[in-house]
Parts: sequence; structure tokens; C-alpha cells
Amino acid sequence: MALGVSAGAALVGSAAGFVLPRRSRVVVASLTTTLVGVAAAVAALAVLGTGDPVVVRWRDVIPLAGVTIDLDPFGAWFVLVAGVVVVAVSVYAIGYCDRALAGRSVQGMFPLFAVTLVLVPAAGSVSTFLLLWELMAMTSLVLVAAEHRDREAVRSAAVWYGVMTQAGFVLVLFALCLAAASAGSESFAAIRAGAHGFSATRASIVFVLAIVGFGTKAGVVPFHVWLPRAHPEAPSHVSALMSSAMVSLGVYGVVLVGVDLLGGGPRWWGLVVLVLGGVSALFGILHALVARDLKVLLAYSTTENVGLIFVGVGTAMLLTAVHESALAGVALAAALLFVLNHAVFKGLLFLAAGSILRATGTRDLDRLGGLVRRLPVTAALFMVGGVAIMALPPFNGFVSEWALFQVLVRAGSHASPVLGLAMPVAVAVVALTAGLSAAVFVKAIGTGALALPRSSAAEHAVESPAPMLVGMGFLGAGCLALGLFPAMLSSGLTRAVGAAGDRAHALRPGVVELHLAGIHSVVSPVGIAVGLLVGAVVVVGAARAFGAARVRRRAENWGCGRVLQTARMEYTATSFAEPLQRVFDDVLHPVHDVDVTHAAESRWYVDTIRVQTRVVDGVDQRVYQPVVGCVRAWGERARWVQNGSVHRYLGYGFVALLVVLVIAR
Amino acid sequence: MTTDTYRQLLGLAAGVMIVAAVLALWRRSLSAIVRILAAQGLALAAIAVLVGAYHHEVSDIAVGGMFVVLKVVVIPAVLLRVVRDTNNQRQSEPLVNVSTTIVGAAILTVVAFAATRGLVGLHPSPEADALPAGFAVVLIAFFGLVVRRNALVQVVGFLMLENGIAAVAVLAGAGISLTVEMAVALDLLLAVLVLQILSARMQTKFGGLELDHLSELTD
Amino acid sequence: MTVRGGVVVVVQVGIAVGCAPLLIGLLRTVRARLEGRAGPPVVQPWRDLRKLWAKERIVPEHTSWIFAFAPVVLVSSALVVAAIMPLVSTASPFDHVGDLFAIVSLFLVGTVFLALAGLDPGTAFGGMGASREMTVAALAEPTLLLAVFAIAGRAQSSNLGAIVTATLHAPRSVVSAQSLLALVALVIAALAECARLPVDNPSTHLELTMIHEAMVLEYAGPDLGLVELAAGMRLLLFGTLIVNLFMPWGIATRTALPAIAIGAIALVAKLAVLGVALAVFEVFTAKIRLFRVPELLAVSFVVAFLAVTAAAFLG
Repeated sequence: MALGVSAGAALVGSAAGFVLPRRSRVVVASLTTTLVGVAAAVAALAVLGTGDPVVVRWRDVIPLAGVTIDLDPFGAWFVLVAGVVVVAVSVYAIGYCDRALAGRSVQGMFPLFAVTLVLVPAAGSVSTFLLLWELMAMTSLVLVAAEHRDREAVRSAAVWYGVMTQAGFVLVLFALCLAAASAGSESFAAIRAGAHGFSATRASIVFVLAIVGFGTKAGVVPFHVWLPRAHPEAPSHVSALMSSAMVSLGVYGVVLVGVDLLGGGPRWWGLVVLVLGGVSALFGILHALVARDLKVLLAYSTTENVGLIFVGVGTAMLLTAVHESALAGVALAAALLFVLNHAVFKGLLFLAAGSILRATGTRDLDRLGGLVRRLPVTAALFMVGGVAIMALPPFNGFVSEWALFQVLVRAGSHASPVLGLAMPVAVAVVALTAGLSAAVFVKAIGTGALALPRSSAAEHAVESPAPMLVGMGFLGAGCLALGLFPAMLSSGLTRAVGAAGDRAHALRPGVVELHLAGIHSVVSPVGIAVGLLVGAVVVVGAARAFGAARVRRRAENWGCGRVLQTARMEYTATSFAEPLQRVFDDVLHPVHDVDVTHAAESRWYVDTIRVQTRVVDGVDQRVYQPVVGCVRAWGERARWVQNGSVHRYLGYGFVALLVVLVIAR
Repeated sequence: MTTDTYRQLLGLAAGVMIVAAVLALWRRSLSAIVRILAAQGLALAAIAVLVGAYHHEVSDIAVGGMFVVLKVVVIPAVLLRVVRDTNNQRQSEPLVNVSTTIVGAAILTVVAFAATRGLVGLHPSPEADALPAGFAVVLIAFFGLVVRRNALVQVVGFLMLENGIAAVAVLAGAGISLTVEMAVALDLLLAVLVLQILSARMQTKFGGLELDHLSELTD
Repeated sequence: MTVRGGVVVVVQVGIAVGCAPLLIGLLRTVRARLEGRAGPPVVQPWRDLRKLWAKERIVPEHTSWIFAFAPVVLVSSALVVAAIMPLVSTASPFDHVGDLFAIVSLFLVGTVFLALAGLDPGTAFGGMGASREMTVAALAEPTLLLAVFAIAGRAQSSNLGAIVTATLHAPRSVVSAQSLLALVALVIAALAECARLPVDNPSTHLELTMIHEAMVLEYAGPDLGLVELAAGMRLLLFGTLIVNLFMPWGIATRTALPAIAIGAIALVAKLAVLGVALAVFEVFTAKIRLFRVPELLAVSFVVAFLAVTAAAFLG
């Protein structure tokens, strides 16, 4: 019912976006998208609260297959994730969209993109799923290419994004169609029922295709190369939606096929997911460390977080394969909680980055600075997002990292040798990324928001309009609420995990503390937050009581007796990350270029010296560039087929027709 | 002694052997590396003595005593003299970044434990549980051999490799006899003495023990 | 929360705050005596704090609320850790939320805010200190978490009270390979996190050698007093962590007042011994070069990893 409201609102909004004149277009489209998000969240909460799935089937909407909506608690969790982010982003868009972004195509596609994000997890049959998935890909492609007239890089980014999305779609298509063909019917319920009958090879082929296809959408290494290209060039509110809700759908797809539809498999499935997750986490955070562009940093950080989610999912699959269903349920619950928390704080970070971009016109961290005074609210919310993603109390990242860690530790003491070997490595990887992400986000916050402005753009930045602040504030409040009271979601989460398989009681309900079933550790985020608050009050009170001066006098920096302080003396983002980059030299392989131009008169004199250091994405350079080069070479060689003669083309068609007739006989 | 104490002490000695191998990858000072080798030899001797004491086998205890004499006293003394004579206290950078080498050692430990899983499961006993540690020492020492550039450090790596193999032999309980161990030990002593002569020649000819200099001999 | 429970919390926080400067003073005095100097009296750090408290509060002109807020965050996070960690008794009212991962995260909160406060004034020293500090923290953090993993195996839980109780019941488990390796790794990580030798020299102000001191260079007056107090509390709490996880004798397991008193005295005595040992170690150790610090931390990481593997295979 509520989903119907959602869909209807989206259609209205889309029409409005295309039809209305510029002034009202943005407001109406964004408000209808907000309605889409709210209705979806309501529907999801209803399903999570009661546990009863919503099943709707319309035979005649699309010929041949019809539309099936089957919203069980597992899908509802992802609908909730998408709904929450859509609400915040659409409110933000009211203030953000202007000039190119207020164009008809962008405003028309935006509600449609939002509605596909909330409806994909509700799809109940293969054709509905694929239809919605492709719609999502198309609308997001239009949105990514929104500013293509302003910047050249947008076109290249859109091409990469389009190609990789379509490639992923083809693989997903194969996977789901193979599953449907083997089960005899295309509805998910039928596939679920018929999955025990699949031969092991067939199930494995479906799984591998699904991993690659959905992994492309989720952004795991080595299919992540579109993320750092598309996110910086897309409009910020679209990047926020993509990075929070769309990558969650990649995770949804993997869990749907691997755990829900196919019902779990042999141990190597879980190991593959675990390895992909671990590699993505490390790779992502190392490249975020050396990134200068704020949005590229956030994009690589998304790869890292998705890697951590995959570690959780892989552990759950491994545990199912060794018949520890209860603990597998807890692992899956930890992964799902991470999905929600990641969507909230990553959405907030991208929206804040958009606000900074709009105010200063640049994304380069080495040109920002001092924003905490010029853009106080944006900077404060950016810091909230940064503290959340560093997994620090009292925000939500801490809770999900704690849960993931507890599950890995508990699984590591299992008797099975596979777990005994894999879990220490997984914990080592998770711990290393946790430490590195702290360094990355101190760099982002410290060089971006604090100290003196490094360019005149940053010096003259102006705070963003109210709708943007409200949108960001909503997500910031979400970070705090989810961080303080995670156990409020526990019954919903338990139902979601139960719907994905055969488990129950992943989390025990509670208000103040968070308990995981079967694990004897407890954390109380509210307690920690209250403790910190009480501690702060005690400290400030004691300082006043023991005679510390109240008034602060502002004076020049001391700086070891130096007289002047300019922005050129500050540490930049590159210099901040340099010691850590040096440690990981062998992994990152930075490229140093030194160009020396000699004076015309004599080689002994130097005119200019140009030094450039950059880190290239290893997967991009070593895997994709050769492939693109190969395809290009083949394309060049195949040009001989096109010689412009109409007769030859007709001849090709005729021969093809004959061949088909002969074969299909 | 009780089985529990035996298991704990054996685990401790095996742990010391692996840690010594990792530390030898880290330290740059040549005399420190030789001392770490001596400590590893002591841990190996402890393993042999423990196995002998628990199973009441005198030959194992005798082998342990011989290890102490050879690997803790004699060979490190010869190596320290080489260090003093070549007057070369530190070595240059290895082929791979040191931090990467150390993380590589961790990965090799996992590989060793994974690869010997079948062996351990075949005949569970406290010795079998400590067996993967010997393999790990072998792998880490071999890795160190491959990435180091100094002749002396390579010999130390070779000796650690032999320590690892000896540990595996003692723990596998193949009844390693005194004469076999004596023969191997004398071969080692010979190798070390050859090193002493070679290093003196290298020092006079090249002024250092860096192996890169050896490639100049082809000119 | 009973009255006796409240007494436990108050005693723990009191020891953490009161003894932290005394621990620093003990370190300085022992070092001085070993180096042949007379050295300051043990209570000197308290006198320094009192002096700083009375000074004028000066803040650099370009800083934001982060700079003023960071010392408060540092001290309050240390206070929370002191309240939930079992210092004198495992039966404190907050015991069941005394999770090792939560404690490591609380320490990280302090580190992060201090690094941000180092970047805030915009000086090159502050940026340098923050950059170096985050490098060390990023590499020490995995060691801490892996050591937590290894130690948590003892009690099948990462709750500190449970681990201490399990160690009290099975004292010989402390001497196993897994435990000793975890101890070595934890000690190296603790030295890195508390900015002591051989990672950082707490008494230097040379650009080449500063990490922690570079970040707090712009602090003066009561703010500097808070930062110094927080540094002392951090050292005390890490020391207590090591002492109580591996040598928990004397800790109270109930909330009876005599037991609390014994627990407090045992803790102070153990910390004093640890302080003397640390001072002796510092006299005989040189600070290692900044670019060699990651190698030391990598060694501690591998040792912690070995501890975890040993737990899985030898334990």
C-alpha cells in the first residue's frame, strides 16, 4: 500500500520534473521524492515490525511476466536504508540544484531513480528485479552525466559508469535467468523452493556470475574502477544516493543470491566473498589515504566499507557452511547493521562534500581549509560524519564495527581449521583498515575544515542554504540516534536476518545495551556517551572551581617563536599522508616525475624544474587499461568491415539471415 | 612433567623460534642478528631437551646438548668474529621494504600452518601441534635468504633454515640419531669457516660484504 | 548501582586522576637517579599542574572550537575508561560494559581529537605532529585489536572483567605462548600509544624528534594542564591494562570495603613497579628514527598475529 504511494509519488514527481517551469520544477520534484522516501520507509518499518511479508502480483502491467512485489523483512531492511537516504537527499536537493542541475532531464529522472532504489529490494520475481535494476542503471546514468556540458571529465566518467553497469547487468541477467530456468519458474519463491534441486556446478555458476555482477554495483575490487571516476563528476546529491543506497543494493544482490535464493553453499563461496571483502577494504583505504580530491577519497572509502560488509557476509556464509547457523545469523546481522550505518554516514559525508563544493567551487583538499569558521554548520556535520566513519563512540560506526569484530573473534575460536585460519587474517585486515581510516579522516577533516584557508575560494566561502543544512542535519541526527540506541532496531534486524535464511534471535532487544546472541560481550553506547558528557561537565566544572581563568585571550600562534603565520606554512593533505604512504610504498607504487627544463644558453643552467608525484590505481592501470587498449586495437582492426558500401552491408544482413535459418532448423 | 606443562613449554619454545626468525628480518645490526640466531639455537635445544625429558629418551637430550655447544656457542662466536674483522656493523637495505618483509613473514606463517594441517591431523600430540612452527621458521628463513643482500646475513638465514629443519625432525620424532646430527653439524661448521675465509677475501677486494659486488666479478 | 559500587567507581577514578601525575613524577625521578642527577621530587608534576592552572588562558587566534574542546575530550575519555575498566575490583557497577574494544576506541577518540587540535592552529609543527601521530596510531591500532583478540580467547569474551576473572581462576594460562606473545605485542603498542621511548621522547622539543609534543606545542595554561594530565592518565590506564590482564593478583572480586582497599593498594604497588621498570628501560633505550617506527610496529603486529594463530592452533 505504502509502496504504491511511493511509486505514484515518483511518477507524479517525474512528470513534474519534465513539465514544470524552472522555478517550481526543483521544489516539486524534490518534495515528491521526499514523499517517495517517507512512504518507502513506512512500508519497510511496517514489514520489519510485524514480520509479515507484503506480496502483490500484477499480471497485466508488463506483457509475458507481470510485476511481482514480494517484500519480506530482509528486503524491507534495504528498503528502509534506501528510504532514509532518499528523504535526506531530496530535501538537500531543494537547495542544491541550480543552473545545469535544474534541467528537465535531471529533475525528471531524479524521482525515478529514487523510486527504483526503494523498489529493487521489493521485487519478487526475476523479470521485475531485472526491470527495476535496469531502470535504476539508466536513470543513474542520466543523472551522472548531468553536468556534461560544463566539464569534459563528466563524459568520460559517464562512459565508464555506463559500460561497467551494463556489463554487471548482463552478468546478473545470466545468473538470475539460469536460476529461473533451473527452477522452472521465475518468481523468487519458486527459485528458493527449487534450489535444493540444483546441481552443485549450476549453483556455483549462478553464484559466481552473481558475485561479479553485483560486485560491480557494490564496488568491490577489482570491479570498483567506476567508483572513483563517477562519484567526483556526478552531482553531489546523486553521489550520495549512489554511494549509500546503490552500493547497498549490490550487497543485497549478493546476499539474495548466495544466502536467500540458493540457500548457502560450499565453504569456498564464503571464502571468495571474504577474500574479495578483505582485499577491497585494504585497497580502498590505502587509495583513500593518498587521494587529494575529497570526493575521490570518499569514493575509495566506500570501497573500503563495502569490503568490510563483504567480510561480514563471507563470515556468515562460512559459518553456515560449517553448520553454525546461530552464529551465522549474528554475522549477517552485523553486516546488515553495517549497511544501514554506512548508508547514513556516507550519505552525510557526500552531502557535506557537495556543500563544500558549492561554497568554494573546488574539491581539492590542498586548496580548502578554514571552513570551520566560514561554513560552521557544514563543517560540524562533516565532522560528525567523519567521527562516525572512524568508528568512534558515540556514533553509529562504532556499534557496527564492534559487532563485526565480536563476530569475527567468536568465529575464530571455532574448531574448524578453515575458520581458525581465516578469522585471524580477517581480524588483522579489519583492524588495519580501522586504524588507517582514522588517519584518512583526520586528514580529510583536518586539512579540509580546520586551520587557515589555502585559497581565496575557501576564504570567501558562504554557508549553504537551509534545505541543504536540513537534509544533512537529518542524516547527522540519524548517525547519533543509531549510535546511541542501536538495540531499538534489534527485533527488526532479527526478522530481516531470519527472512534471509533459517535463523532467529540474532540480537536481543534492549534499549541501553547491545547484546549479540551467543556472544558474551556487551556494549552500552548510551552509557559511553553519557559517561563522556558527564566527564566533560566534571572537567569543565573542576577547572572553573579550581580557579582556572574563565576568559580566553586570543593571541598569535607561538610556533616556536616564529613571527608570521600564513596559509602556505600549513600541512597539506598530501604532506599529512606522506609518512603512511612511505610505509605502503610497495603496495601503492607512487610515480615520481621530475622534468628539468634547461636554459636555452647552456645545459649547466636550469630554467624550470617540475616535480610531480601521483599514485595511480593499480587495478585500473594494470587490468583495465590493457583491456581497453586491446578492445580499441581490435576495433581498429575490425574497421575493414565498414567500407561504406551499402551493398556490402545488405550482403552481411542476408548472409546472417541464412546462417540463422540453417542453424535454427 | 605433566602433559599440560609439556605442551605449554613446547609451545613457548616454538613461539620463541618463530619470533627469532621474524626479529632477524627486522634488525639491521649484524651482531644483533647473530645473537638472535644464538637465541633461536637455544630454543631449538630446549625443544630437543623437552622432547627427550618427556619421552625419557637420552639421545634427544644428548642432541639438545650438542645443539647448545654448536648452535649457541661455537657458530655464533665464529660469526661474531667475522663481523668484527670485516668491521662492518650494519647492512644495507634489503631488496624489499622491511615492513613488507615482516608482513610477508606473517603471511608465510599462515601458509605454513595451512599447509601442515594434514600432517598435524594425522597423529595428534603435543609435538604435532608444535610442528607447523618448524615449517614456519623454514619458510621465513628462506624468504629472508631471498631478499637480503649481505653475505653474512644470508649465511645466518641459511643457518636458521637448518634450525627449522632440525626442529621439524626432532618434533616429528623420526628418531634423529646422534651421528646424523653430528654429521650435519660438522657440515655447518665447515660452511661457516668457509664464510670466514671468503668474507676476509671479499673485504680486501671490495671493502664490504655486499653481494651486489660479486656481480662485478663477471666484468 | 549500590553505594559500594559507587565507592568502587570513585576510588578507581580517584586513583586514575591522582596517581597519574605521580606515576610521571616517579618515572622522571628514577630516570634522574639512574643518570646520576638528583632529579625532581615525585610530586613535582602536581606542582606543575597547579602552576599551569593559575596561568592566563591563551588561545591561538585562528583556532576553532576544536582546539578548546580537545583537552576536555581527552580527559573525559580517560575518565570514562577509568570508570569502566576493572582497576581495583571486577565487581564495579559498570563492569559488564567494560569491553576491550570499547576501551581501545575511547583511547582512539582522544588521539583523533588531539591530532585535529594539532592541525587547527595551522602551524607546521602542529601538522607535523598530527601527521606523525596518526601514522603511529594507524599502525599501533591493529596490534592492539589483534592482542585483544588473542587475550579474549582466554575467557571467550572481550569483557575485561570476565578476562581478569578467568585469569584469576587459571593463573598458569598467563605463561602460554599465546599469552606471552600477546603481552609483548601489547607492551610495544602501549609504548607507541603513550608516546614513550623508543617511539617518541616525551621530554624533547626538537623538530626532528617530536610527535606528541609537537601537537600540543600551542597549548598554554589550564588547557596545557589538562593535556598533561590526560597524557599521564593514558599511561596509567595502559599500564593498568597490562598489569591487570597478565598479573591480576590482589584485585578485588567483590565490593566489600576491605577488598577494595587491598585492590587499590595492590594496584598502586604494581604500577610503581611497572613505573620503575619502564624508567630503567627508557634509560637504556634510544629513540628510533621516525621512519623505522613503522617497522617496529610491524614487528609488534606480526607478534600479535602469531599470538592469535598460536591461540587457534596450540591452545
